[in-house]
Formats: sequence, C-alpha cells, structure tokens
Amino acid sequence: MIVLSDYLIVAALLFSLGVIGLFLNRKNVITILMCIELMLLAVNLNLVAFSHYLNDLAGQVFVFFVLTVAASEVAVGLAILVAFYRTRRSIEVEDINTLQG
Amino acid sequence: MANVTFPFPFPEHLSALLPEILVAVLAMALLIVDLFVPKERKALTGYLSLATILVAGVALMQVADGTSVTAFYGFFTLDPFAVFSKLLILAGTAIAIIMSLDYIRSEENVGEYFVLMLFAMLGMMLLVSANNFVTMYLGIELMALSIYVLVGYQRDTLRSNEAALKYFILGSLSSGMLLYGITFFYGVTSSLDFKQIGEALAAAPSSEHTAVLLGLVFIIAGLAFKVSMAPFHMWTPDAYEGAPTPITAFMSAAPKVAGFVVFVRIVADALPALEHETVMILSGMAVLTMAVGNLAAIAQRNIKRMLAYSTIGHVGFVTLGLIAGSGSGYAGMLVYLAIYLFMGMGAFAVIVLMRREGIQGELLDDFAGLAKVRPGYALAMGLLLFSLAGIPFLGGFWAKYAVFIAAVQAGHVYLVIYALLFSVVGAFYYIRVVKYMYFDEARVPFDFSENRLMQATVALTAMAVVVLGIYPDPLMELCRQAVIGIG
Repeated sequence: MIVLSDYLIVAALLFSLGVIGLFLNRKNVITILMCIELMLLAVNLNLVAFSHYLNDLAGQVFVFFVLTVAASEVAVGLAILVAFYRTRRSIEVEDINTLQG
Repeated sequence: MANVTFPFPFPEHLSALLPEILVAVLAMALLIVDLFVPKERKALTGYLSLATILVAGVALMQVADGTSVTAFYGFFTLDPFAVFSKLLILAGTAIAIIMSLDYIRSEENVGEYFVLMLFAMLGMMLLVSANNFVTMYLGIELMALSIYVLVGYQRDTLRSNEAALKYFILGSLSSGMLLYGITFFYGVTSSLDFKQIGEALAAAPSSEHTAVLLGLVFIIAGLAFKVSMAPFHMWTPDAYEGAPTPITAFMSAAPKVAGFVVFVRIVADALPALEHETVMILSGMAVLTMAVGNLAAIAQRNIKRMLAYSTIGHVGFVTLGLIAGSGSGYAGMLVYLAIYLFMGMGAFAVIVLMRREGIQGELLDDFAGLAKVRPGYALAMGLLLFSLAGIPFLGGFWAKYAVFIAAVQAGHVYLVIYALLFSVVGAFYYIRVVKYMYFDEARVPFDFSENRLMQATVALTAMAVVVLGIYPDPLMELCRQAVIGIG
C-alpha cells in the first residue's frame, strides 16, 4: 500500500535533486533548465498526491496551470539562452561572468 | 433556437475585471497593429501603449467604487487596496514607457518591447488582485516571464543577455520554491484561497506543524526573491545593471509594488495563525536586507548597480511595515512604495538622460561636474537623491517616517533604531553622487542630445518628490483609506 508520505518523500527527493543540481552544476546551462523542470515536476507530484488523498480537485487543476506555465517558462529560457550563446559563443556556467561586483 | 447552457455558472461581477480584460485585448491587438507600422515610426506603438494604459486607468476608476468585490468564482478581488496599487502600477509602467520612447529607437523589434511591458503590467494587475494562490502564481509568472525578455532586450549586448539569463535562472528557482511551499499549505488546508487557508491553519492540529512551517518558509523565500529581500537578492544588481535603463526603472518600482501587495495579502489573510513565526523570519530578513543593501551600495562605481543595492535597502525598510502589520503598517508600506516609485524612477530617468555619444552615463565619473554644464539635471538628481536618503522635508523622509512610526507602534523599537542607523549609512553614498556632480571637475565630455519627454519626466518626478515632501497628508490619507479591511 502506497501512502501519502511515500509520494511526499519522492517529491522532496526530486525537489532537492533539482535545487542541488542547480547550485552544484558547474558545467552547462541546459542542465540548469532541466533542474528547474525537475523542481516543478516535484511540485506537481506533491499537488496530485495531496489532491488525491484530500479528495479535492483543486490541486489537480492547479497542476495543469503549473504545467502550462512551465512550458512557456522553458520556451523563454531557451530563447534567452540562444541569445546568450550568439554573443558569448558558449553556454558554460563559468562563462556567465561579465557582471560582477 | 438552441438553448445554450454553460456547464458552470457564468462568472459573477465580471465587470470588476474590465481593466485587465481591456489591457489583455488591447495589448494583443497592438501586437498585430505593430506589424503594419513602418520601421521609422515605431514610436507610434509606444504612444498607443500609453493610450492603452490610459484606457485601463479610466476603466479602473469606473469599476472602483470603494467597496470590496470578489469576481470569477472568488479567484479575483477588487478592493480599495488593489485599486490604489493598480494605479501605482499603471503610473510606473507609463513612466517607464515614456522613458523608453527614445531609448530603444535604435533597437530592433521595438513593437514587442512595448507590448511585453503591457503584459508585465497585466501580470502585476492580476497579482495585486489575487486572493488565491492560483491567481497569484499566474500573475507572478506573467509578470516575470515578460520581464525576463525585457531585461535581455538588447540582444547583441552581452551584458543584457547575461542579466536576462541570471534573472531567469534565479527567478525560476524562486517560482519553484514558492510553488513547493504552496503545495504544503494546500495539503494541510485543502484550499488554495488565502482566507480559507488562514482559517484552516488556525484550526490545524499540532501534528501538522512541521508541514505548515515548511510551507511558510518556502512561500516567504519565494516571495522574498520577487521583491529582492536578502538573502535572496543576488539577482538584483546583475539584472539591474544589464537591463536597458528604462526597464531597470520599471523593475525597481512596479514589480516591487505588486510583490509587496500580494505579500501583505498573504501575511494578513493566510498567516495570522503563524504571526509569531512570520514576524521572526521577516525581522531576520529585514535586518539582513538593510545591511546588505546599504553597505554593498557604498562599494559601487556604477550608478545603476548602486541604485540596485539602494533598492534592496529600501525593500528592507518597506519590510518593516510588513512586520508592523495592522492598518498603519500596511498604509506605511503603500506610502513608501508610492513615493519610492517617483524618486526611484526619477533617478533612473536622469541616468537615461546622461546617455550620450559613446558613453552609457552609468558610471559615477560620468556625473562629475554635471552641475556646471547642466544645473537643471544636477538639481533634479540632487533632489531625488536627497529624497532617497530620507532627508527631511522631501518625499522620501515621509516614506520612512510612515513605516518607522508604524513599526514603533507595533513595538519593534530596536528594529527601527537599526533601520535609522542604516539610513544614515545610506545617506553617505547618495550624497557622494551629489558631491561628484557639484564639487568635481568634468572628466568626460558633455554633449547631450535634447530629449524633451525625458526632461519633462525628470522634472515631474522631482517636483512630485518636493510636493509630497511639503504636503504628504493627502497621500497618507489615501493610503490609510486603501488598507481599510486588510488584516
């Protein structure tokens, strides 16, 4: 029998993976985008699990909003990344270093 | 004739959304109209966006009747608080568009620039009317996604691209944290409505305390990112420096209003049961924010970056109002945000004016000796900076006064003494710019191109700061009226 806390633990693991990946990753900006996506999916898992165990539909409806926004967020993010690549000729995290101080 | 029946009741009080609907429709229409505007006359799109804002303002005054209305199945609320902050947001966007008219003339895709500003404005208008986490999330994202693009608008400038990328990454992280926090509140209370969450949290059994605290911490962290409170302020200086200056002005004012308004709604409606924890977290963050903002600003040579840190400092002061809570605290926040809108945007407008052939006009050195060549600019900048520093009898003094008094009344005397200390530190770097302008020799040539619109903007904001400094009562009364019924 899978109980609510199992879902919450998986979601928490996914979310932590996302956050840790975002900060520890020194290589590639694409990985950062994937980490952000992972965080949002953990959120969705949380919402669906709560929604199911509370017998309340609002959480599942919210998931659709989150999914939609996540899609547009990635579109904007990739567009910004392409523009960055055109001027910098690199998407290494280390190369995001012009602005400092 | 077929009888059309809705599968759900038709949204009640739809007219309360009239300003938002108008902005959405007109902005989309403008996107198409822009295709037919010839390249050399793109300023027309800018003027049409200003007209859109005017239409939205008129519509807002029409639907605002001083009462609190809930529309769209309780997902949207229009009360005096929302109306007042929407007016601020409209004013901020309008000023930013006026600043942009000349600034981006040399860029490509000018039309989309203005439309994106309108969409960001729409997001903020939804945000201040949100009484539900769904509306709030959609408002925040509409605002943030538009602003990410605007920050990176100068596509061939590395600075601009990099600022957009950093802002995007940290902004998405904050959205993720905010959402993760929301899920825990939802799980404990099975509601997404602020008021219902507030009631359910008050009745929540202590066995769920951990989940509630987890939700609280994540939600506050996510919102703190949006209003750039330390320790979640890292994106602010980079995004402010890299963005086109009118967008920097826009970001420093309007989204802060929207962010703080929704912060107030959450603290007042959803978190009264957790008042002790909320005040503790916010106090810690306010202390850190004031220190980081005011101390880091001293080290900056770039004025845009300096003003970014100064914004962080001001955010710390506004947070005092949030900590004080109750009517006078929230009213103080509104006073602060309203006055900051004018002085902050005015200062950025002067920076736009300083841009000249081959010089960005963003470095401290570019301001040296300004008073001899352009006494008017120097006077306006001086007034705005003194006001930012909170020198009495300019607008900024009353802004600080309003929140400090509210915080003292709420019993946070030590916090206020600490804040006073840091406003003195803050005065140092503001007045340093004045010293550069009045007492130093010119280091770079001054050959300004004339720009009547910008000069008018600067003059207007400087005048607003002086007038509000001499006669702040009407604004304070307005803000007091606006927060009746909150908290």
